Amino acid sequence: MIPPSRALALIILLAALIAVPTPAAEDAALLRDLSSVIMLLGMPCGPVVSARRQADNDHVALCENGNRYRVFVNAEGRAVALRQ
Amino acid sequence: MSAARTIAILLFTLAPGCAGVKEAPPDVTARSGPLAVDPSPVGPKQEAAVSGEAEAAATAPPAPPSGSQGAAKATPRPATAPAKVSASPAAIERPLKKEESPAVTRNPEPPLDVAGLTTRLRDTDAIGVFTKLALKNQVDDLLEQFRSHHDNGQKTGVASLRQPYNMLVLKVLSLVQDKDPSLARTISGSREAIWGILADPKKFHAAI
Repeated sequence: MIPPSRALALIILLAALIAVPTPAAEDAALLRDLSSVIMLLGMPCGPVVSARRQADNDHVALCENGNRYRVFVNAEGRAVALRQ
Repeated sequence: MSAARTIAILLFTLAPGCAGVKEAPPDVTARSGPLAVDPSPVGPKQEAAVSGEAEAAATAPPAPPSGSQGAAKATPRPATAPAKVSASPAAIERPLKKEESPAVTRNPEPPLDVAGLTTRLRDTDAIGVFTKLALKNQVDDLLEQFRSHHDNGQKTGVASLRQPYNMLVLKVLSLVQDKDPSLARTISGSREAIWGILADPKKFHAAI
């Protein structure tokens, strides 16, 4: 028989785990977004395997083929991918 | 004596086998006979027709005129057949026309809602922010090409812009179709209507 205090703690822990959005899902969406924008801009990349945020709307994406791009929004409001 | 008995028994048992083999061909002929007679139960008229044909076949070989008669008899049959065929296409055409007319009525193109389509594209979760921005940039670039084309009054036609337009639509479809198939269907169905607006200078200036 589980004591009530422990059961309450378990419930709270489970609720916290369920309620917090998983950063992995956000990362997957960002990686897909970066893959799509690099593809749209006609750069060779394939799926983006990892990304590092530098600033708002400014990321460095590492592609499956090893290419690395800085993806950002420039002053004219255009999405740009610069190979690094 | 026992050996003679066994030989006699063996011969007795083997004899029906040999007799069966010998009897088999008559059975086959007997069966083929009834097969030829089989049409008879269907009706006496067919028998008469068969007998008439047999008579005609019998009369045809001996004399050439009878052969021509046979040919003359043969010609009416095709004559009846084309008559049936000539009647059947009319019967076929009517249902086809009936099928075509509902199909035409079924596909009235829904009015194009550009604003609604733009809103749906903006609000969809199928593509991310960066991708939406890049798409918007490319749409703006293409619209600028159309504008300059119409403003210059080029009479060469906008066919040269059809390929970049198609490419852009395909890009959008490839991005959207997995996560928002409804939007992809709408875009795909609106492709020609959008092109109709872009290609016509009056509609273009009125819409954009």
